[in-house]
Amino acid sequence: MTASLLKNPELQFGATTFFAKEHKGETCGSNGLPLTPNSIIIYGKAQKLKMLKHPNLCTYLDIIRGKHERTVIVSQYCGEPLSSYLGKERFSYDDIKKIAYKIFLALHYMHMKKIVHRSLSTENILVQENNNIKLFNYGLFYMTDNGKLVSFPIVQLSYAAPEVYLDGPNGSLSNPKVDVWSAGIILAELVLNKPLWQSLKVGQRIRKVLSLVQGNTSIFERIAREHNCYDIYLSVPSDLKQIIEVCLTIMPCDRPTVQIILKNEVFAQFKTAKESNRRKIYEPFEQFTIEELYHWWQLAGGDVLLELKKQGLIRSSPPILSLPQMVLIDGLILGQERNPATLYDSRIIQMPLEALYQRFEHISLNCYYPLIHVKSEILSNGNDSSYDAEQLPLVIREKDPEYQFHRVILLRRLLHGYPHTRDLIITESIKDIPPLLRGKIWAALLNVRGDYQEEYIKIDKETPTPTDRQIEVDIPRCHQYNELLSSSEGHRKLKRVLKAWIYKNSQYVYWQGLDSLTAPFLFLNFNDEAKAFACLSKFIPKYLHNFFLRDNSAVIHEYLAKFSQLIAFQDPVLANHLENINFIPELFAIPWFLTMFSHVFPLHKIFHLWDRLLLGDSSFPLHVGLSILTQLRDTLLASGFNECILLFSDLPEVDMEQCVNFSLETYSTTPKSITARTQQSEKCVYVTTMGIPAQDLNKEKFPRISVDDVVNLIRNDSERIIIIDIRNPTQYARSSAKGSINIPCSSITFGEVNIENVGMHSSLLKNNKDKIVVIIGTEETNLDLFPTFLIHCNIPKVCVLHGGFNSLLPVTPTILITQNQI
Amino acid sequence: MANRTSAAQRPNGSTQGKICQFKLVLLGESAVGKSSLVLRFVKGQFHEYQESTIGAAFLTQTVCLDDTTVKFEIWDTAGQERYHSLAPMYYRGAQAAIVVYDITNQDTFGRAKTWVKELQRQASPNIVIALAGNKQDLANKRMVEYEEAQAHADENGLLFMETSAKTAMNVNDIFLAIAKKLPKNEQTTGPGGSGQGRRLVEGDSGAKTAGNCCK
Repeated sequence: MTASLLKNPELQFGATTFFAKEHKGETCGSNGLPLTPNSIIIYGKAQKLKMLKHPNLCTYLDIIRGKHERTVIVSQYCGEPLSSYLGKERFSYDDIKKIAYKIFLALHYMHMKKIVHRSLSTENILVQENNNIKLFNYGLFYMTDNGKLVSFPIVQLSYAAPEVYLDGPNGSLSNPKVDVWSAGIILAELVLNKPLWQSLKVGQRIRKVLSLVQGNTSIFERIAREHNCYDIYLSVPSDLKQIIEVCLTIMPCDRPTVQIILKNEVFAQFKTAKESNRRKIYEPFEQFTIEELYHWWQLAGGDVLLELKKQGLIRSSPPILSLPQMVLIDGLILGQERNPATLYDSRIIQMPLEALYQRFEHISLNCYYPLIHVKSEILSNGNDSSYDAEQLPLVIREKDPEYQFHRVILLRRLLHGYPHTRDLIITESIKDIPPLLRGKIWAALLNVRGDYQEEYIKIDKETPTPTDRQIEVDIPRCHQYNELLSSSEGHRKLKRVLKAWIYKNSQYVYWQGLDSLTAPFLFLNFNDEAKAFACLSKFIPKYLHNFFLRDNSAVIHEYLAKFSQLIAFQDPVLANHLENINFIPELFAIPWFLTMFSHVFPLHKIFHLWDRLLLGDSSFPLHVGLSILTQLRDTLLASGFNECILLFSDLPEVDMEQCVNFSLETYSTTPKSITARTQQSEKCVYVTTMGIPAQDLNKEKFPRISVDDVVNLIRNDSERIIIIDIRNPTQYARSSAKGSINIPCSSITFGEVNIENVGMHSSLLKNNKDKIVVIIGTEETNLDLFPTFLIHCNIPKVCVLHGGFNSLLPVTPTILITQNQI
Repeated sequence: MANRTSAAQRPNGSTQGKICQFKLVLLGESAVGKSSLVLRFVKGQFHEYQESTIGAAFLTQTVCLDDTTVKFEIWDTAGQERYHSLAPMYYRGAQAAIVVYDITNQDTFGRAKTWVKELQRQASPNIVIALAGNKQDLANKRMVEYEEAQAHADENGLLFMETSAKTAMNVNDIFLAIAKKLPKNEQTTGPGGSGQGRRLVEGDSGAKTAGNCCK
């Protein structure tokens, strides 16, 4: 019973396939770069089609690129082609009017989106069980750039308007009125209940259509007479007849647009005003969509290419058979038989869903309606039907259909309630982020809200600027392994988003790297540029505040100094080694932080990294950097300068899940003031208390800790802290922090790097692993020597109390004691 | 596919001759092919979609000249004008520089001339500068005439070649030409190039001692 929600006749899909035109001869464009394969251009253009949502259009689900420029289109497919009804039981005139109305609604919606069908026919109009109709495969002309990217003509012989033929075999006429003509022919066929010119050959049919141009009597009447149906013609209600006749107007300029046709009286009876208006107010909520079903189907082992192979739509022939007989030196190929597969194959293969139904059979109905706010204990206890996979590695969870089912069902519901459910979205995102909804969840995590689309529209993205040259040379090398980002559409969109950001943030400038930073957002929101822009606009102030200033040296230097200090704090052995070989972060870490690692990792790794990053604050990236060094630690420790820098010029494989988890670990155990920067945008209590002058920051190997963090640790977590008071014994005896030990600075000889020099407390420090070693001195004592000495002795977690002992004096209730009391 | 030229390989078995280490820096407008030249020289590869360089990248390659082994430590810099402030960090103490422009783009040639001027003013006085007109494979779209660049090179005492990272034309040659021109007497540097790295960041003191292996 439970799969019943899945077994919805609307939720069926099928696939068609064709080949894109191959580039002949010339393989390089004028810029020296290889020409973008046509299948990639199609891939980019077709993305927009996925956005079309209309009750009379089959939803596009996926575009897949196969070998040799093969393109596979996956789309909703439900019902039977209208053509299969012709010649059987006649449709009533009312039914025909209804069908006409729905066809025109669909065409109207398409034309509004600037998409011309160009190949409308009874083959690609589907009649559903509930008598609804849906257009199928309506985007072929659009996605192939008006047919220019394929070698077959996109035309339906009997249905094409005369001007389509007059435009010639390679014509790319994209006047939406061609669809009106095709609709007229279809309606004529329905009324006459027979396919037109059935017995004629290809050439004759074309001639037949063109012959209609001659003469000035009603075309519909001529067609009816020709098919011996004049009696039917006479009986057609005049309103319907009139519609058909205006559709079949020869001159495109005289033929009405779909919009005008829809205003015709004959359709008034079908108009229900409330439906469209309500939609505008609030989107109806669906438990899940066909896109999600398709996603689960794929996870459960569904494979479109495999199905097409099984059904014989993809057939591979031995390559030797396609060898040409002669190739001229300039690349001209002679004597190669045309592969019949490069012609258009209109077959549609329905994808079998049984495996998915079976897989999901045991999922109970209430899983489709997850509880979000549970106040009743009985209910919350009864709700443990959720699928237990949380312990599995992330990559497995992402591929587990059932787990993704639960995650998607839950999170899409939460997203529907956004922004009110933002806290819940954050809580769930800590577990993981379902890849299908990543774009939306990221936007929620980044707090994108309001009418971001309106804002984006207002921004000038077109006026040429001096930065354009730089953007133009950077985009064709930005994540180009990715199909979306390497498509012409991807290039165009990335350029627009970048230009928009620069226009909107006049205080900042374009630094190389901004392209890489934008790419993940664009990839995830390919059909919603405005959202990609909104995410970028939220991301940069949060994580890269002031990084894109014309002069960003202050920010970068502070950031890198903090990074060095964090390494010294967490891993002094590594820090000392890197210092000895002079391997400073300036030489390798600028692209890391400036692009938040998006310049150094491929997209799929960036996703997992940013999934976490977006949950942390602006110090998290420092921990990621540390984590990368930690993964390569053994190599680094064994290498000199050249080997180390070579290692980073070509960054080796980094295990992202491990990297992220390690970052989380150090992130959660490092007091916030350790990584606090003056240049961060977050309001942070430490920043006001810790204005460390830049020259001190660069000089100090150790981080400073704020008095608040120290007091907190003493009060709540005194097991995690070792306090070393380096003032002289008299001062120490008079007043000192609770639990502190006294190692007077003056008592130590710093000449040789040996922890034993510290005296009786040396073993405590030597054995320290996790405790934070806070050095308390005074402004007068030299605060550099001792902590630097400890770091050189490889003591981890060394930091210095900012402001020295005096900063503890105003703390109330006090944490100071005098030694005499003991 | 990584077919290094034989010149780029260490002599095997033969008694080690002199080993010279040189720091070389690549400069030039972005997208003229600096990284591609280095990649072709070091790995024998060419990537059509070579990523942009942020900050700088470092690579090494060794070539043999008669009885001398020359090890290049190559700093490949970011081309965007904004990264200019980082450039001194890389060319300071460099014994050689390749200034690259794109023969299909006149502006990049202008930028190359400014780089040459800056190097002559700011870098080590004995620095060997080579001018590389890259993307020679696109000669049919040429905007910078060979003669024009040659004349500029002659005036300023630069090595000059038109190169193509894509077809590998003149890539090894230009590095070899630089190696030949570099002074290789009183060679002292041993293995472990950490000295180079240190010099890179120590600032002015480093610049003064630049070329400790080959002066």
